[in-house]
Amino acid sequence: MITHARTPLTRKSATLTALVGALSMAVLIVSARPAEAAYAQIEGSGSTWSQVIVQQWISDVDANGIKVTYNGTGSSQGRKDFAQNVTDFGISEIPYQGKDEFGAVDSAGDRQFAYMPIVAGGTAFTYQLKVAGKLVKNLRLSGETITKIFTGAITNWNDPAITKDNNGRVLPSLTIVPVRRSDGSGTTAQFTAWMNSQYPAIWQAFFGKSGLTSYYPAFGKSIGASGSDQVMNTISGSAGNGTIGYVEYSYPVNKKYPVVKLLNKAGYYVEPTQYNVAVALTQAKINNDTTSQAYLTSILDGVYTASDPRAYPLSSYSYMLLPTGANDRRMTTAKRQSLTDFMFYSLCEGQSKAGPFGYSPLPLNLVQAGFDQLKKLSDADPGVDFKNRDVTQCNNPTFVKGDLSKNKLAEIAPQPQACDKVGAGPCGEATGTAPTTTKAASKPAAAAPVAGAAPVAAAPDPVTGEVPVATEATTETQQQGSVAVPTELLSGRAGDTKVFGALAVIQLIAIILAPGVGAVYFRRRARRKLGALS
Amino acid sequence: MTIIRPREIVCLVIGLILIGLMVATGGTPAVAAGEDGVGAFSATKTVTREFTQTDGDTKTVETIDSRDFTLKVDHTQNLRGRERVAISWSGAHPSGGRAANPYGENGLKQEYPVVIMQCRGIDDPSLPTAQQLDPTTCWTSTRQQRSQAGDDSAAPWRHDLYATESERAKKTGLDPIPAECNDVESFSTHLTPFVAASGKVYPACTAETMPPEASVGSAFPPAELAAFTDTDGNGSVNYEVRSATENESLGCSTSTPCSIVAIPIMGISCVDADVACQQTGRFRPGESNFTNDGVDPAVSPLYWWSESNWRNRVVVPLTFGLPPDACQVLDKRPPIAFYGSELMNQASLQWAPAYCLNSKRFKFQHNRIGDDPAYALVEKGEAPAAFVSGNREADSDVPVGYAPTAVTGFAIGYIIDEPDNKGERGTLNLTPRLLAKLLTQSYAGSTKGQQHPGMATNPLSINLDPEFQAINPGLDTISREAAATVLSLSESSDVISSLTSYINDDPEARAFVDGQADPWGMVVNPTYAKLKLPVAEFPLLDTFVPTSNQECEQQNPSPYFTLLAAPINSITKIANAVLDGWPNTQTRCDRATSSDPYKIGRIDRQGIGKRFMLGIVSLGDAERYGLHTAALQTGPGGDRRFVAPTPATILEAVKIAKPKTSRSAFTLTQKALRAKPAAYPGTMIVYTVARTTGLDKKVAKNVASFIRIATTEGQKPGSGNGQLAEGFVPITKSGVTAALYAQAQKVAKLIEEQKVPAEKKAKVPKAAPVAAPVVAPAPAAAAPVAPAAVVPTVAPTEEIVATSAQTSRPAGFLLPLLIGLALAAGVAGPVTRLIARLRVQP
Repeated sequence: MITHARTPLTRKSATLTALVGALSMAVLIVSARPAEAAYAQIEGSGSTWSQVIVQQWISDVDANGIKVTYNGTGSSQGRKDFAQNVTDFGISEIPYQGKDEFGAVDSAGDRQFAYMPIVAGGTAFTYQLKVAGKLVKNLRLSGETITKIFTGAITNWNDPAITKDNNGRVLPSLTIVPVRRSDGSGTTAQFTAWMNSQYPAIWQAFFGKSGLTSYYPAFGKSIGASGSDQVMNTISGSAGNGTIGYVEYSYPVNKKYPVVKLLNKAGYYVEPTQYNVAVALTQAKINNDTTSQAYLTSILDGVYTASDPRAYPLSSYSYMLLPTGANDRRMTTAKRQSLTDFMFYSLCEGQSKAGPFGYSPLPLNLVQAGFDQLKKLSDADPGVDFKNRDVTQCNNPTFVKGDLSKNKLAEIAPQPQACDKVGAGPCGEATGTAPTTTKAASKPAAAAPVAGAAPVAAAPDPVTGEVPVATEATTETQQQGSVAVPTELLSGRAGDTKVFGALAVIQLIAIILAPGVGAVYFRRRARRKLGALS
Repeated sequence: MTIIRPREIVCLVIGLILIGLMVATGGTPAVAAGEDGVGAFSATKTVTREFTQTDGDTKTVETIDSRDFTLKVDHTQNLRGRERVAISWSGAHPSGGRAANPYGENGLKQEYPVVIMQCRGIDDPSLPTAQQLDPTTCWTSTRQQRSQAGDDSAAPWRHDLYATESERAKKTGLDPIPAECNDVESFSTHLTPFVAASGKVYPACTAETMPPEASVGSAFPPAELAAFTDTDGNGSVNYEVRSATENESLGCSTSTPCSIVAIPIMGISCVDADVACQQTGRFRPGESNFTNDGVDPAVSPLYWWSESNWRNRVVVPLTFGLPPDACQVLDKRPPIAFYGSELMNQASLQWAPAYCLNSKRFKFQHNRIGDDPAYALVEKGEAPAAFVSGNREADSDVPVGYAPTAVTGFAIGYIIDEPDNKGERGTLNLTPRLLAKLLTQSYAGSTKGQQHPGMATNPLSINLDPEFQAINPGLDTISREAAATVLSLSESSDVISSLTSYINDDPEARAFVDGQADPWGMVVNPTYAKLKLPVAEFPLLDTFVPTSNQECEQQNPSPYFTLLAAPINSITKIANAVLDGWPNTQTRCDRATSSDPYKIGRIDRQGIGKRFMLGIVSLGDAERYGLHTAALQTGPGGDRRFVAPTPATILEAVKIAKPKTSRSAFTLTQKALRAKPAAYPGTMIVYTVARTTGLDKKVAKNVASFIRIATTEGQKPGSGNGQLAEGFVPITKSGVTAALYAQAQKVAKLIEEQKVPAEKKAKVPKAAPVAAPVVAPAPAAAAPVAPAAVVPTVAPTEEIVATSAQTSRPAGFLLPLLIGLALAAGVAGPVTRLIARLRVQP
């Protein structure tokens, strides 16, 4: 651009030229994009479980000049596309399985790759169940009940097992319609892996063999739906009364749809919030053998049986398949740089928005390990700039500085309410409500009242015998008339406070005025009596 | 001795010009080189085909066809990746054997088309070879379009009059033919290798030896095509160019010039009387070949690279704009994330770099979530600001300000092909009733849907509806399940509120929903009859499961109309589905092998030539992706017309918007919009909403500065950083949008100041301390009230976020009342006693 500076000149004019050159260079520096940001578009496909947050990250890095396309085709297809060199990266909840259940190959073929965890989350059970025309929003189920529902052993909502889970509340007689994914899905794989581990007798008798599957078998009254969006449509549609299905928590959260509170080993029914997922995943066993192809994949048995009262048992990670081969057919320096910086952002700063989107951020140690995997892209291609891309650069409030293994969320996670315990409750608040950011919980002032308020809220009022739980959250104004199921131990409703308020006013007036009025009345009466006698 | 010599002056001038240029281009694409700024192109060339007649020893070359081919391109300068240019031509040989899909290898089975492709380099023999284009720098997405092999009798390129003797050899293109090509020794083989921008040579003889961007199922469909010429010799296409960002191997950028090459296929000129070479086509001009039958290769696009065809090319030089400056991924500043409306998607994408690139500003991010949850986050103090496009129900007394930030809206995006492959339909008219029919699932979709009680005689899809046909004449009448629905949002959104309000306020549409048949006898799906509108989230009400003899559907009983509608959770995903012509209809039912169970899933992409799909999109996305948008019927009874989204029609709508207070959105109802015939009904104003008290000072300052920047430099239209994307109408200090501008500035000030409003200040702190002593003496009365009541008054000031959701509004307003009463009563008690005594004692 400044080739004129190279022409032979006298010293003075050279000085002048240099000056002009320097000036224009200065302008160039101001206006030009950073030299290292030579990006080329990258393409990926796979999981719909993690798609909601991945799409947001893609929008975020657009500002960095990084163009990414992502197609939510389901994890199985994502692994297939990656193996066939159709995509630059894949996203899957489970590793390559070697062979799928139809005997077809499920491997990366000869493409070199590494697994990298990208986000954590809870596989949620969302449902539509109406009692007297109102949507139930506080259903609780144990793992065994869920497994029996999804293997056809429990087929009616009035089943005693469901009644027991809900502390004696009998749900109406209505056929349960399980909604399963019809496409090859990582969500299905997560769910069936959990059943296979925790309820092997029930699951394996149903499945006919042991192990997980990405393709949920058709059974009984179940309906198949392709992709997480369509699972939500099937459940939330009018035909959905009686349905229950499994999706990542972000789907019901963004739709303000209820999710099942799942029983954990500590005896509490909990929701897959970012906190409860983070607590559970502290028990994940990560493959730490850097020489293994399965490095960083996780064994989740400890998560399933986590004994913390806050732990959500069906918590897991989603993985990216990174093309680490030096001779990868699809990769170039610019593409590797795009992938490196896209993931640098996502693993670092991008994690901080996991909560509001219905996910849970990765703990710092996994981010660190993810960075090591990411570095393999620059090892394969020295042209890739990996400088200064490390965890200390992350703008992430959920990381605990100086302690890699700690997850701040797990530390500040609020305890479940007393009414969430087996044999108590159920709590009245709706599940799957509007998202929360970490900011709220990280404030001690904000977190404390939740834990502290719980016993107060749960204790029945000595006078009325009612549980004075405050009115329901914002969702109620949106979903008109859908409230918690009326039970013997009734949860609070909006109308109650008004009634109590009015009652209190009357009582207050009565208490204060009664002595005076009474005094006047009795004295007058006494006087009248006196008069009559006299 | 002179101080400055002429040479130095030249130097200085060049330097200054350079500076000037750089300043001018900083942040925006380079200024166009052409006089008109867009570089419209036009060129005419005589193109011919020759046959050689052999008569004994004498060979005579005879021109059997000669035409004057004129090519026009509307703009060629400063292009961005995926931008479309309009190409038209005249004087070409009429085409025959029209393919349903002319793109990529699908376009090969046609005769006499115009091959249009993008090539790296310029057609200038004076340039160094590396900067020139030739067939090896021209992009194709499959190897079938580049390399051919076959029996000697089927190798017309070996009889090309204009080829050199060596080019007519048995094996050409690469020497030797690489082993991975698995070349058959006895065949005639020609390779057209692809030379990538990096210099790497791809043999292009198998799928594996093509560049990576050419993989099957790639994110982008092929751009190159064999376009059809009508019987008059005319034709036109919208051609999508690719920059180095989308196609690194092709590598077109500001510094690497590229061209569009158009080759009107005249047929190979022959050096001898070879039968294969002298073929003239088997299809009549204008005839279709939708069944993909065989064609005469000599007049097909297959040998576009042969010298006979290549020499007839018209080359259109292109320039690409500078990619906008990008944020640094290592930027350590924590981001300030605004939550909310997807309508802002394209605006946010362009604005973000203007913040991060300026060290005095902050790092702006836009987290795309629904209007309602975004507002809830702001109320709870968990997000600094939200983008919403209408007034929200406040859940607390937290004061917020509404700063108008963008004027945009929604549109019904569509991709509809004209019959007989005449290209895409450019205009579409829709009435509120047609939209009501689509959303209420009143089109039957197929004979399965017709089983639905009460819908037996309803049209299968919108293109079969006489109401639609009357205002959109000339489209095909093929029934499609995808044309029975409009792809919509599955989650709640102000867009759906506005759209359903538009339907609700139209008497005809409302009457249809209420059960009144349209003039042609179509009735609403009974499930949706009398549906209450507007709604923020359109419900999937139909539960009908058709009976079927098919094993697949018996195994997967599903509500049919939910499979047709299949709404999705992002408005940008809808835009992409429309762009790709890939409906989300979930009625495909198949199985991998005969031993697997049947599964239902999304239907395939629609074939080009037969596409018909509608989707609810944002105006920003529609403009960015070049989607067609429908004109919507509006206007009062006597003056009904179809209004398309344009800046003028959107401004007409803004004129109706009436300001209320800075604490609320402008009033812009569909009822008022309908009264104004020229106003686009899809117009929506997006507001930045933030708390005017209780926000962190620094965050508040950033939000205020965002509003100020967004409503000033952010409203300058353009494709550069910080500028206003297409699909948005600028908010200006004066003119129609002046009131919006004024409110934005006012609210920015309120947010920056974070002053607690006077009346709140007085009430809130006082109430709490007073409550305790007064309530204490009356425990029985206070017990049920106090726990609930104390919380809400404290919440707004101290941000007890986690609990604020569990507060009660009645209790909130009852508390001050109660305290007041208690005070009054406290005084009244003794007083009544006193009075009583006084009365008794005398």
